[in-house]
Amino acid sequence: MNDYEVVIGLEVHAELNTESKIYCDCKNAFGLEVNTQVCPVCMGMPGALPTLNEKVVEYAIKMGHALNCKINNVCKQDRKNYFYPDLPKAYQISQSDVPLCQNGYLDVMIDGKIKRIGITRIHIEEDAGKLLHDDAFAGSLVDLNRCGVPLIEIVSEPDMRSSAEAKAYLDTIKSILQYLDISDCKMQEGSIRCDVNVSVHKKGEPFGTRCEMKNVNSFSAAVRAIDYEAKRQIELLEAGGTVEQETRRWDDAKGISITMRSKEDAQDYRYFPEPDLLTIVVDESKVRELKESLPELPNAKIARYVNDFGLPQNDAALIVDVPEKAKLFDECIKVGGCSPKIISNWILGDISKYMNETGKSISETHLSAERLAKLFSVIEKGVISNAAGKIVFEAIISEDKDPMDVIKEKNLAQNSDADYLEKLARDVLAQNEKSVTDYKNGKTNALGFLVGQCMKASQGKANPGMMKEIVLKMLSE
Amino acid sequence: MELYKKSAAELSDMLRKKECSAVEIAQSVFSRIEEVENKVDSYLTLCKNEALEKAKLVDKAFADGKELHPLAGIPIGIKDNISTKGIKTTCASKMLENYVPPFNATVVEKINSADMVITGKLNMDEFAMGSSTENSYFKLTKNPHDLERVPGGSSGGSAAAVAAGEAIVSLGSDTGGSIRQPSAFCGVVGLKPTYGSVSRYGLVAFASSLDQIGPLGRTVKDVAMLQSLICGYDRMDATSKEIGSPDFAKELKSNLSGLKIGIPKEYFGDGIDSGVKQSVMNAIKEMEKAGAAVKEISLPSTSYALNSYYIISSAEASSNLARFDGVKYGYRTPEYENLIDMYEKTRSEGFGDEVKRRIMLGTFVLSSGYYDAYYKKAKLLQKKISGEFSAAFENVDIIATPTVPSTAFKIGENIGDPIKMYTADICTVTINIAGLPAISVPCGFENNLPVGMQLIGNKFEEQTLLNAAFGYEQLVGGFKCLPEIV
Amino acid sequence: MKIDIKHIAKLARLRIDEQKFEKFEKDMQSIVDMIENLPDINEELALDKENPMALRKDKAVTNKFTREELLKNAPQVQAGCLVVPKTVE
Ligand SMILES: [Mg+2]
Ligand SMILES: [Zn+2]
Repeated sequence: MNDYEVVIGLEVHAELNTESKIYCDCKNAFGLEVNTQVCPVCMGMPGALPTLNEKVVEYAIKMGHALNCKINNVCKQDRKNYFYPDLPKAYQISQSDVPLCQNGYLDVMIDGKIKRIGITRIHIEEDAGKLLHDDAFAGSLVDLNRCGVPLIEIVSEPDMRSSAEAKAYLDTIKSILQYLDISDCKMQEGSIRCDVNVSVHKKGEPFGTRCEMKNVNSFSAAVRAIDYEAKRQIELLEAGGTVEQETRRWDDAKGISITMRSKEDAQDYRYFPEPDLLTIVVDESKVRELKESLPELPNAKIARYVNDFGLPQNDAALIVDVPEKAKLFDECIKVGGCSPKIISNWILGDISKYMNETGKSISETHLSAERLAKLFSVIEKGVISNAAGKIVFEAIISEDKDPMDVIKEKNLAQNSDADYLEKLARDVLAQNEKSVTDYKNGKTNALGFLVGQCMKASQGKANPGMMKEIVLKMLSE
Repeated sequence: MELYKKSAAELSDMLRKKECSAVEIAQSVFSRIEEVENKVDSYLTLCKNEALEKAKLVDKAFADGKELHPLAGIPIGIKDNISTKGIKTTCASKMLENYVPPFNATVVEKINSADMVITGKLNMDEFAMGSSTENSYFKLTKNPHDLERVPGGSSGGSAAAVAAGEAIVSLGSDTGGSIRQPSAFCGVVGLKPTYGSVSRYGLVAFASSLDQIGPLGRTVKDVAMLQSLICGYDRMDATSKEIGSPDFAKELKSNLSGLKIGIPKEYFGDGIDSGVKQSVMNAIKEMEKAGAAVKEISLPSTSYALNSYYIISSAEASSNLARFDGVKYGYRTPEYENLIDMYEKTRSEGFGDEVKRRIMLGTFVLSSGYYDAYYKKAKLLQKKISGEFSAAFENVDIIATPTVPSTAFKIGENIGDPIKMYTADICTVTINIAGLPAISVPCGFENNLPVGMQLIGNKFEEQTLLNAAFGYEQLVGGFKCLPEIV
Repeated sequence: MKIDIKHIAKLARLRIDEQKFEKFEKDMQSIVDMIENLPDINEELALDKENPMALRKDKAVTNKFTREELLKNAPQVQAGCLVVPKTVE
């Protein structure tokens, strides 16, 4: 097995989050009642004609810039002809020989190292409808709501060598789509899907015959599909067989892929230029403008967090993975008064926990960078303890209050009065003579117990650092 | 008073002078339909009740002193491949026998907002594929000049209805001559506008890059009025062009003096009936006598236009007609075993032979391995042909040719010989390939059958073209468009 | 060029009647022979840059049509959907 190298290329389809569809002004929306988001155009009625949505072109160019592509500002659309009930016109309007973007690359972080993956092309096209199957029906039902939802298809070079690399590529693509805010990337709604091309060959030998797998609906399924397919091909070769070029369907529930069609049955799509649309010409200045409008992209952001703020690579990546978290991080840094470290810890700790548990986004709470930075600042200055910080955090999520007011109201400020703390320590030590003796006999963990008792006596408000120092000093007297 | 014999321009005047009412006009046309429709068979659907209702509204609006569009109250017939909301639009195909569009074509919206009176939907070759209207699934339309002959096609119903007085004007569509050729056969005026000047939204597509809706009438002015109404940019058609709102009829000028007419020798060679040739040459001489300058020109790539046309139009048709699969609308075969079986039976039973031939040809030229040899080559030749016309128009204002190599042929005469049928399109297809405007005007008779002269203009020069046609019409004292129907 | 009627018909989802097949094939072949007469041109098909289209603003319009209106012409409808023969086993 180890003599083999796996070669992977990916085709990612991402639905764009425009307001209207790509070729008609129907609403681009998910989950509405069947066949209610349709019109003569997206239903392929006789005589209806497409008109191209300018936002789709702009979004695709943005993605092209983000993936370092050459932008073909003069291009066209083509028809891809095939019969299927989810394709009302019996052709998909897509792009063949001149895609909007081509010849780019994406740098992906794999095990702390950068790997460059080539991007063959990005083109724009329309989504198809949905077929619904149920034993209650003798046939299949067709819902055309999704027809005409704008898609970009991102085709990579066969540059990946393991399912882990493919996963990292897909995660990065998804993250970029989110940073550009051009796709919702909701896997469960099918707004991002991929086709996987896999081949295997012995190291040092030419590439093997590839198989394409369709119907891969999640990134984790992509990993499973690649691993399955690589194993299948290697076993086939080891048994003296040959890999046939074919299209296979991945069945994630069963964890297997099955032949959909062989090379002989390959579809003849009869591409030709879409005569209902004229040439797409985007002004060069517009292309430049779109490039300048790009936000900071995930890779650059991670690098900045590591280099400028000293965050560990992993922590930086975890924050950047969710654009909202990175936005909060950047805003807290901007407000200032606290260290990047405490911002990062809280975002990856309590804030992430809250988001995971409630499924809410930050914008749905009363949290703001101003409030959080203030909270982090008072924790770092020792005005309140970390434990009290959590109480303040809970309060400002739900109650729309300023952290300082919460501290005052709940009387959470720490006590750092040395005289008070010394008196407290003297009393606690007097009441715990056994522990004092233990400590003096070398049982150092008695210190923790004694400090804990002091904190308890102060109802948690004693400055824990000072408390520990005072107890230590008294024990060594 | 036989109002159906009047032109749209005359009726428009009469309405304003209260010499007749819109209801009287509509009644006259419908009684003419009752009189001759059983002989001519130009309509697939009649809209008598709706038409009379509309005419009443027009009369009321006039009575209320409202200002209406010049074409308000004028009866118009519409080719049955132009979508009419709530009115069957069959494309003369079994496939769409019961299809009722939920929306209007943009041109129909314009006709409605001008308060024209829609008489009904006109017969045609199935999906506009043909040159005789014999490919209609429903009926044979006859040439009003000789009921044993074809009216031409594919807009045979549109031309026959106007020639028979069953409509004052009509709309047709022209992909390779489908307005001009039947206009020539039936002795009426028909304009194929510049590609992009009339919205195709709602026109059931045959070949998207060549199709164009256009007007037919018995006078050049009527055609000019209707063209002014239907042309203009439409945001629903990405191939339509911004051309303002010209009023061609108002700007019509009959002075031919100084008009430079090009005569391409390739259109007067073998294969053109000598009688037709003679009629057209005589017409050109008349125009020359009236002050036009005539010069011979050459358009050498014309010889490839027919082949390029059949490749491009069939390729697009094969894709455009793939949507007729028995799922969303139209015919579905009653019995089938599975999806593929349903598709194949539905399409084989729903389409006629000519439509099948075009779909097959188009599928073939686009199929794997053949694209470069056929489609790509045809598109390259298309550019070459366009270039030759552009060069020619640097020296001439219009180009004159015969519209069709012959006069109307007998029903059944050419059926079963597709090649003979196709080569008869030789004079008209080139104009669609080049995207130019062209008009066919009657220029005499040959054995009592009308002969058509085609005048071709430069892109978006409809005014020049209509002026030339109008000049010729005035010269001959008007066209005799309404034959005795026997 | 020889045209393979059976293969092309399959691509086009058409079936040609057995009785008509011979004539159909002959007609198709003569049409193919006719259109083949084209000169060789060794050029690439350039994009028509001079003829661009206007793009549509991204604005959604709702309630243009009811579902009933749009499905009125469908051969078979169930639960607001078009019905086709089962596409999976
Ligand atoms: Mg695709
Ligand atoms: Zn729509």
